[in-house]
Amino acid sequence: MIQMQGVVKRFGAQTVLDGVTFTAHDHEIFGLLGPSGAGKTTIINILTHQLDCDAGEHHIGVTSQETGVMLEQDGLFARLTCLDNLELFATIFALPRTRPTEVLASVGLEQAARRPVSALSKGMRQRLALARAVLNHPKVLFLDEPTSGLDPLTARGIHKLIQDLRDDGSTVFLTTHNMDEAVKLCDHVILLNKGTIVEQGTPQDICRRHNAMKTVPDLEAVFIEMTGDELE
Amino acid sequence: MNNARAVFVKQLRDIVKNKAVLLQYLVMPVMALALTQLVAKPSGGAIPVTMFVSMFTAIFVGMVMPAATTGAIAEDRERGSLRFLVMAGVKPVDYLLGVGGVILATGTVVLVAFGLMGGLTPSQFGRFIVMTLGGGVASVLLGAVVGLLAGNQQAATAVVMPISLVFGFGPMIAMFNVTTGKLLAPFYTMQMSATISNIDAPMGKSALIVLANIVVLLGLFVLDYKKRGLRA
Repeated sequence: MIQMQGVVKRFGAQTVLDGVTFTAHDHEIFGLLGPSGAGKTTIINILTHQLDCDAGEHHIGVTSQETGVMLEQDGLFARLTCLDNLELFATIFALPRTRPTEVLASVGLEQAARRPVSALSKGMRQRLALARAVLNHPKVLFLDEPTSGLDPLTARGIHKLIQDLRDDGSTVFLTTHNMDEAVKLCDHVILLNKGTIVEQGTPQDICRRHNAMKTVPDLEAVFIEMTGDELE
Repeated sequence: MNNARAVFVKQLRDIVKNKAVLLQYLVMPVMALALTQLVAKPSGGAIPVTMFVSMFTAIFVGMVMPAATTGAIAEDRERGSLRFLVMAGVKPVDYLLGVGGVILATGTVVLVAFGLMGGLTPSQFGRFIVMTLGGGVASVLLGAVVGLLAGNQQAATAVVMPISLVFGFGPMIAMFNVTTGKLLAPFYTMQMSATISNIDAPMGKSALIVLANIVVLLGLFVLDYKKRGLRA
């Protein structure tokens, strides 16, 4: 279970998170939605111990060895091959030698195993970053904008992988700008605006509360109503 | 040690694909060989045979090795790769041993080449390697301090350049200017160069100064790390 209780984070005079409280339950896909600068990435950075908060409490209930992370900046080693990148982390996590090849195949990159990362397309890099995030069979997986800037086909492949991970028992913590993605994937979402949670629940419940249930839940309408921002 | 080994393998794979670093590793010994063969040896003793070896060894240890260490750390920070290693549980000492170990190991190959060029006897060769390896350790620490200090590669280059110019070129200028030699006496590259130039003289004092440099740089690294950490 991932929990934040009254978390406050300031950068100088600017308050980026102001009393953020939520609970993400095990084995669900938990969506964190909000406009740019709302504080989504800051929440991931705090939960993954890259940043300290100024007030409040948080925990994810697992060790760093049981966590997988995919951030907007992929952090891949550009001169190394796809396989080299995964082998590095497989050694750190003391995983079987076959695991990197297995994970590369699961994201459809087995043919690119020996290619350097610098020669990959953006979509391939995203898939490799996801492969690295799931390499250690994480109990909690943090995904920051996992399909940002990808073509629909690649995005669909990543959606399928995320759902499979949830079905296999992982808890997925996802940030996204894409409301369709949130409705399609998330069991539970929170809407963050200017460092404060303005709405939370299942996508269907939120849309019902805001009379945005058309033929499908229109989370985008709720997003615009609650944040006053158009989507980017 | 498993994590240090993993980082070592990663860095080794990276350095053999990094043409810019490989070029720097090649240029100094090639220059020393060419000038020794074409200038020093035909001079009939007017120019000592070890002069160019001493000069370029100091430049290699004082400039190339710190720059390579700084570049590796700054690149990992700038690309966000370092944060993934830290999140996976790689400790600073593991990272420093892995990255620094590769710079030192590959640097040793070049230092052996320098030693062989000098036409040294086995005991002189041993003294040469001990002294230059001591300098190499100091240079890796110097590079690590700058790498932590600088937020990105551009800043790292801007900081490491003037420092390594003093450490690398200082001993060469000291060959022609006694005052410079006195001023630079507390620096490890100066002592290293002096020992190589007069390889049969007692080297106890020089070795102590190199050791003192290592202790000071290690202290700076620890302070720098406590202040900035390895966070990207």
